[in-house]
Amino acid sequence: MDFLRTFAAETADANGGLFGALGIDWRLLTLQIVAFLILVWVLGKFVYPWLMKSVDERQANIEAASKAAQKAEEAAAETQEETAKLLAQARKEAAEIVSTAKLEAAELSSTSEKKAKATAEKIVADAHEQLDKDVAAAKRELHNETLELVALATGKVVGKTFEAKADKSLITDALKEAK
Amino acid sequence: MARKLSRRALSAYIAGRLIEGASEKEVATHVAAYLLETRRTNELELIIRDVQLRLAEQGKVTGTVTSAFELADESKKAIEAFVKDKTGATDVVVDTVVDPTVLGGVKITLPGREFDATVARALTTLKTRYKKA
Repeated sequence: MDFLRTFAAETADANGGLFGALGIDWRLLTLQIVAFLILVWVLGKFVYPWLMKSVDERQANIEAASKAAQKAEEAAAETQEETAKLLAQARKEAAEIVSTAKLEAAELSSTSEKKAKATAEKIVADAHEQLDKDVAAAKRELHNETLELVALATGKVVGKTFEAKADKSLITDALKEAK
Repeated sequence: MARKLSRRALSAYIAGRLIEGASEKEVATHVAAYLLETRRTNELELIIRDVQLRLAEQGKVTGTVTSAFELADESKKAIEAFVKDKTGATDVVVDTVVDPTVLGGVKITLPGREFDATVARALTTLKTRYKKA
């Protein structure tokens, strides 16, 4: 930069005219234009392509990210919808399970009640049967005891009242009957 | 010591002697002596039964009549006639036994058979036949 100031100072006196009146040094201007053009060329050749490429890549990345985000959003929405569906199905299944369980419980209760009733009826029938048996046994025992008593009483009475005359008649009849 | 005879041979001998008309007392003495000598007195009951059977086969039946009262002659004759009729015997000898426990009626015990028409038997039949198990 120092050499430019020196160059400008040296040429300021030499260049009078319009540019000099305006304070413009045309050689300096030319030199600056050339430097600018060189700078533009260098930037256009080496910097801008790399920068544009970087920008493009970034833009592509951003677009990709945006698409991915959109997809993710869609997927999330879809997932949410699916989740809602699953939740609804699960609720439905749960309701069905509860309903089935209630039905089964009711059925089980009914079966238990039937079993209990059958058991009670069997107990009553067994009790009746046992009672009948006991009554029959008692009747049989009474019959046998009556027989014993009749035989005993008859024996006692006959032993006291039977006489030889009656015995003779009995023997005769028995022999006749046996013939 | 006397030779040991079988019960069958011994009963056949005794029955034969009695049918021949030998004295019952004499035969009984001989038999008793033989049984004592051969130590077979425990067979006496069986021998008597065998002799009775052999005598019955020969037409001479001996039996026992049990009654609650002393039997009248008429009853004895009726019993002898009954035994002859039932066994086909020509000669019947019955021993009478009075046993009040029979209550009434008569029980005739013959070799190999018995006729029981006592009141006690009738009562026993009543108790057993009509008894419910």
